[in-house]
Amino acid sequence: MRVGLIGALAVFLSVSPTVRLSAQDTTAGKTVYVKWCAGCHGETGDGKGVAALYMLPRPRDFTGAVYKIRTTASGQLPTDADLMRAIDEGLPGTAMPAWQTRLSDGERRNVMAYLKTFSSFFSDTSQHPQLLKFSSEPGGGTGAEALRVGRQFYDSIHCYKCHGPQGRGDGPSAPDLKDDPGQPILAADLHENWRFRGGATAEDIYRQLRTGLDGTPMPSFSDLLDQKFLTEEQLWRVAQYVRSLSPPKAPEVRDVIHARQIAGTLPVSPDDSAWSRVDDYYFPLVGQIIRKPRWFAPAVAAIWVQALHNGNAIAVRLTWDDRSQSPDTGWNKYTRRLLQTMASDDSGPQTLAPWPDQLAVQFPPKIPEGMERPYFLMGSNSGSVYQWRWRSAPRGAVAGLARGIDRFDTLPPASGPAARAVWDHGQWRVVFTRTLATADTANELQFAVGRAIPVAFFAWDGSSAERDTRMALSTWYFLALDQPTPPGTFISPVIAMVVTLGLGMLVVVRAQRRDGRRAAARG
Amino acid sequence: MRKLGSAAAIGAGLLVWALGSTPGAEAALDGATVTGKVKFVGKAPANPVIDMSEEAKCAAKYTTPPRELIVQVNANGTLANVFVYVKTGLPADAKYPTPATPVEIDQNGCMYHPRVFGIMVGQTLAIKNSDGILHNIKALGKKNRPFNISQPTTMTTNRPGFAAVEVMLPFACNVHGWMHAFAGVLSHPFYSATGTDGSYSIKGLPPGTYTIEAWHEKYGTQTATVTVKAAETKTADLTFTAK
Amino acid sequence: MTRSPNLRRYLDHPFWQALGLLVLAYLVIVYGVPLLPGSSLVPSSVVLQYMVTVLVGVLIYVSDNDERWALFKQPLVAMLVEQRLRLVRILVLAVVTLLVGWVTFGQVRTTVAAPPNLRSIHPAPPAEVTFRGKTMTLTGLENPLRQQPESLAAFTAYGKEIYYQNCLPCHGDHLDGLGHFAAGFNPLPANFQDNGTIAQLTESFVFWRVAKGGPGLPREGTPWNSAMPRWEDFLTERQIWAVILFLYDQTGWKPRTWEKAEGGAK
Repeated sequence: MRVGLIGALAVFLSVSPTVRLSAQDTTAGKTVYVKWCAGCHGETGDGKGVAALYMLPRPRDFTGAVYKIRTTASGQLPTDADLMRAIDEGLPGTAMPAWQTRLSDGERRNVMAYLKTFSSFFSDTSQHPQLLKFSSEPGGGTGAEALRVGRQFYDSIHCYKCHGPQGRGDGPSAPDLKDDPGQPILAADLHENWRFRGGATAEDIYRQLRTGLDGTPMPSFSDLLDQKFLTEEQLWRVAQYVRSLSPPKAPEVRDVIHARQIAGTLPVSPDDSAWSRVDDYYFPLVGQIIRKPRWFAPAVAAIWVQALHNGNAIAVRLTWDDRSQSPDTGWNKYTRRLLQTMASDDSGPQTLAPWPDQLAVQFPPKIPEGMERPYFLMGSNSGSVYQWRWRSAPRGAVAGLARGIDRFDTLPPASGPAARAVWDHGQWRVVFTRTLATADTANELQFAVGRAIPVAFFAWDGSSAERDTRMALSTWYFLALDQPTPPGTFISPVIAMVVTLGLGMLVVVRAQRRDGRRAAARG
Repeated sequence: MRKLGSAAAIGAGLLVWALGSTPGAEAALDGATVTGKVKFVGKAPANPVIDMSEEAKCAAKYTTPPRELIVQVNANGTLANVFVYVKTGLPADAKYPTPATPVEIDQNGCMYHPRVFGIMVGQTLAIKNSDGILHNIKALGKKNRPFNISQPTTMTTNRPGFAAVEVMLPFACNVHGWMHAFAGVLSHPFYSATGTDGSYSIKGLPPGTYTIEAWHEKYGTQTATVTVKAAETKTADLTFTAK
Repeated sequence: MTRSPNLRRYLDHPFWQALGLLVLAYLVIVYGVPLLPGSSLVPSSVVLQYMVTVLVGVLIYVSDNDERWALFKQPLVAMLVEQRLRLVRILVLAVVTLLVGWVTFGQVRTTVAAPPNLRSIHPAPPAEVTFRGKTMTLTGLENPLRQQPESLAAFTAYGKEIYYQNCLPCHGDHLDGLGHFAAGFNPLPANFQDNGTIAQLTESFVFWRVAKGGPGLPREGTPWNSAMPRWEDFLTERQIWAVILFLYDQTGWKPRTWEKAEGGAK
């Protein structure tokens, strides 16, 4: 529906005669631009504002008038409505926020008019943005047949070349991708539609397939419709298939991970079917920019956590998308490009090394009695944290105590944890297991049921040059080992129900009796 | 599919170019000609070997490991893939008709043929995919609008002509990071690109004094000044030196 | 059209009016309010509070007049006694009973919740701090850059640059604490646009918070959770004062001054 609406609006805008921007519009727009936009996009609109080096993707360079999110054919200018949408709603997954809430309608329109003045293309009367005709979405888009057709054409138009066979952005061409200015760019992870620049719906995806994302490696597939290589419906099915890879709703953060208690053995394999029946908790991760050297381009955007226990041991499965199984020399081109692109607090040149992928799960060494906990960023000299650290090469996990970001002391491997990992088409799945109690009660966390145990996560992608302080992190959340409900718990609800039912019956009986008497009196 | 050596591939590309867009065909009969060779001095750097293992269909078209032909020095010591054109000297108000025949660029063996070519403003560009595997072709113009289209099968897409003069306008494929081509977009037909013999020829020039510029993707530009009379043929050799 | 007298009867009836009002109130609170500019979803506890208020209001209205009260009770009594409504009666009894059972179960079931995070947002600052080895008295301290009004614009521009290169990922383009890294943090980064942060504080307090960051918080500020870096390690004293100038300039707030704040903003 939205595509239709935008299309209609765009048609309206393009049909209406070109309105000459009055000097007033752009002057007012300039004031807003200088105050709110220039920090990233630069005073001259070249995308080289003072913050540009600290973000990836980089801010848009307005001087070339090349825009990702449009309703026009590849190579053409965006419509005013296209620009307004980006300003109003921002670009998810980037540093560009929505401005609807900060600036008035007039201010936003003025700033849009002003940023068009950065490129001569907008004043070139020979440029006629040609709106693409978008068809409306065929129904049944979540059905098995639609998804089968969508998958078939996902393969036949070779989406997997960049986006990978499972859509996690790990295709064979992925490490070599760069945008028009030559900066590294990743093929979208199609399982995270809430981070899609142009929107999360099937309509949005269809539109991106039609227009392409200009300035990026994502091409337009409109010619394939013109040449009858595929039909509108088939292209829609691709969009619907891509949509189906992400959850129906964007995940929400819940503070407490509940580990259900099960009888018998815990699933220790990352691909044990038992995990499909365990509640999944989502935690966004962000770059470590608290201690030097900071890292502004974290590779791992989020982590999913599941946990189970059996009264004796705990199993925690961590799942996160990572396009490469590091170290992988196939990704060196990307790593090199990234190192050249991102600002760094390090002195001296960055040299390439075979960095592994890593993950850390952090607990306090003891379940805190009050609310006080160790410092979330790997503890401190005065308060250590107990961590499980896993790495992809050499593959394995250790436990240890961290006393600050740069100090980690490994504990003897006797009490684990054990870890098993699988890398599968752009995704790591790692299961940690450990007994609830261990011998070293002084240093190792003793898990206890029914308690809120603080937990935090850290992730490194070796192919993104992440190691040490260059990582993605979370702050403290909680892990709770649940108990099966003891039978005693059911007593009070049952009593309450009996009392309610009794009272209800009493009310009914009394009302009926009174009614009977009244009827008798009347009769 | 016939196996092509890389030199043969360039030759074929040049042939396509020659048939498709020989400039000056409609020029006056008394037009002058500037011709010459683009020489190369020094030791040519080794071109990078392309890892085509992901593309079996393309890899099968080569008997020896394919290389990215950035610096292609011919047996006679000349340099191929140099774009030679008249930079200045033409009357300012002259208008030249846009050829009706499109210029074709073919994606064959996961390489562009031709790698370097000229095209007139407004002239259609026919983008051909002979490989039948996914290519995207991206025009990275600064003066012209950049575009990026997908060709996942054997097909030809006709792009409407470029709007502005641009020397050079690069093309790239993101699926195959080694694929690059360069077009000189000009408002006149006086251009040529060197092939396996390293020679160029610009025909049909009105009498006058011209600055001829040669452009190479690695070595930049070289210029020569030539004065021609009506129906005269003059030779102007240009030289690039290894860095 | 034949239905309309029927519909009228319902619309005029106090019981259905009351029910309609309650449904309407619920829809407005849950779906209407979040659409208002500057509003967000109403938490369920607040929804309950509002609904109880509406219910009391409605009951006062229907019981205010004897005739209306009798009319109001009619459908309820009918549900309790009439033979033709037997099924409805059983259904209401069953639903109420199950609801009570479920709510009670929810109350007695022991689930582990995140412990309450009692956090003092603006803990008392120390009287003095040591900044890179230099002792600074915070009490009575003003932003020294304001002593040079002729250079204020240049200092503010400098502060802006520092903000964009350091603070933006968390505190955001809008200075509202919702930068592109904010989602990873709990508590959220400070919202400078809110009237409860820098608008309430002296610049010396802000200087202390910037310089010492999360690790410099007293216990009541839950230092273990704060992702605020110790900017002392990154920025000079002048740079911090400059960035503070920018915060006030961009948001339009005025810092509290010591004359007004004396005693108050200890």
